[in-house]
Amino acid sequence: MRPGRLIGKAILALAGFLAVFPLLWTALNALKNNVDIITRVPRVVFTPTLANISYIVGRDSVLTGLYNSVIACGAAVLIGIVLGLPAAYAVARYPNRWAGDIQFFVLSLRFLPPVAVAIPLMVIWLQIGLYDTLPALIVTYSLLTISVIMWLAIPAFQGVPKEIEEAAFVDGYGAYSVFWRIALPVAARSLAGAVAFSFVLVWNEFLIALMLSSSNAKTLPIVASELSQQGMNVPWGILNASVVLLSLPPLLFLGVLSGFLNSVFRQKKT
Amino acid sequence: MARRTSLPVTFVVPTIAILLVLSMVPTLYAIVIALQNRELSSPDYSWVWLSNFGDLFLDRRFLNAVWVSVKWEVVTVGATMIVAIGLGVLMFEVASPRLRNVYCLLFIIPVLLPRVSAAFVWKFAYHPLYGIATYPYRLITGGLIFDPLSKPSTALFAVASVDVWQWGLFFAVIVLKLLETLPPQPIEAARLDHASRWQIHAFVTLPMLKAPLISLMFIKMIESLRSFDLIYVMTRGGPGVATETLDMYAFSQGFIESGKVSYASAMAVLMMIATVITFTMLWKRVQA
Repeated sequence: MRPGRLIGKAILALAGFLAVFPLLWTALNALKNNVDIITRVPRVVFTPTLANISYIVGRDSVLTGLYNSVIACGAAVLIGIVLGLPAAYAVARYPNRWAGDIQFFVLSLRFLPPVAVAIPLMVIWLQIGLYDTLPALIVTYSLLTISVIMWLAIPAFQGVPKEIEEAAFVDGYGAYSVFWRIALPVAARSLAGAVAFSFVLVWNEFLIALMLSSSNAKTLPIVASELSQQGMNVPWGILNASVVLLSLPPLLFLGVLSGFLNSVFRQKKT
Repeated sequence: MARRTSLPVTFVVPTIAILLVLSMVPTLYAIVIALQNRELSSPDYSWVWLSNFGDLFLDRRFLNAVWVSVKWEVVTVGATMIVAIGLGVLMFEVASPRLRNVYCLLFIIPVLLPRVSAAFVWKFAYHPLYGIATYPYRLITGGLIFDPLSKPSTALFAVASVDVWQWGLFFAVIVLKLLETLPPQPIEAARLDHASRWQIHAFVTLPMLKAPLISLMFIKMIESLRSFDLIYVMTRGGPGVATETLDMYAFSQGFIESGKVSYASAMAVLMMIATVITFTMLWKRVQA
């Protein structure tokens, strides 16, 4: 048993190392001059430089991409909250004979291949004259955020003890104020997880943004992927810096999301 | 809680109406475009009905893309589940509660990364001369070159490894949490019967978790359909057509090479029909 445990621990440690090391290495490369990156033997000791990072942060295309990403994702998540949370609450608390169908419909939106949605939408936006604009991107992303937030918020609302809501009704609260003042605050932590998840999903989205933008509405992932196509003379350090910039916002939600995971499974236990 | 209130109607109807419009308009329009012969370069078009679909089945590159997509699905879903169950059980067995928390946090990081970032990180790492992942090979062989992304036999697996890096580690966390929700009595009983730890998992805990594990596999199957970002950044479908999945081929037909929007849309419609039918049937079976 003993050597088995030791091997098990070693495998786990290796997996943990593999999980973060590639990203750390990228962050390290973002601080290197090109000479220190293009070496056959990886260099750990080097003179750090901030040139790559300041180049990235100072580029107009990157700043525009950042702005577009923040606006498009922010607006889509907001729409997802406004439309998704109430609908999820209604499905969770007032189930009727369609509740199952509604849940399946919302999930089935995830089955749609992104290409199948993006091609017709591109033609439609071109015809209306909204192609390559943020509103087009926001509307398209809303489909994603509404459905994901709804899908995750239904169990979150079901996790709110019914007794609390019953008590509020007895105290004379109406159905709407029970939602506002009881269900929302009580479920807030799980709901925050659902919202954060939907944000990460649209922030990371690539294919739809690639197809629906040509110059003005490019989001950060598109800008980052374009940096790599500058011919043979690949600016490695700059690319690494842009990867780091692109990856930071989702990682900010690491805490919220792992808390969300924990709360989901704690519910199951009880 | 059967109270008379307008809440269900005011809360559900607008949202579902908007979702229906947002999803049905593009879906139906995709079918319309697939029946025409639109091209990006010209505004004129006419109805060609099913001829795009007929052409597809004679297109060897399309058939290759179907095959690559099937391979991608099988490899990524299979490897993700193996990694997830393996690491999940290992954490459950040998890691202390505090260490478990650390691993859970570490294992969630890759899946949070944008696919584009993950693709870049590993594209650098797989670089034959300067990559960190190919360095051990260079070290051992004394400088031989190994370029996984440009060999047709390894390219698909190299890209798939990034997908498994993201999802396998994340699912390992979920498998651990699932194991932690199990009641301890059956495990104790098996232990009293002198079952080894691996027997306990193979015959007691994992069978108990059959339903959630199947759901997990189902989710991975859906997510594996979204391979485009990784492949676009890492190989562009190459070398040759070795990693050209359906969405990659549809994209290059519609946008990069010829601007044949209708042809691309026909492909997308076939994908849509296949996935919706498959997953609806699977889902109903999982739920039953």
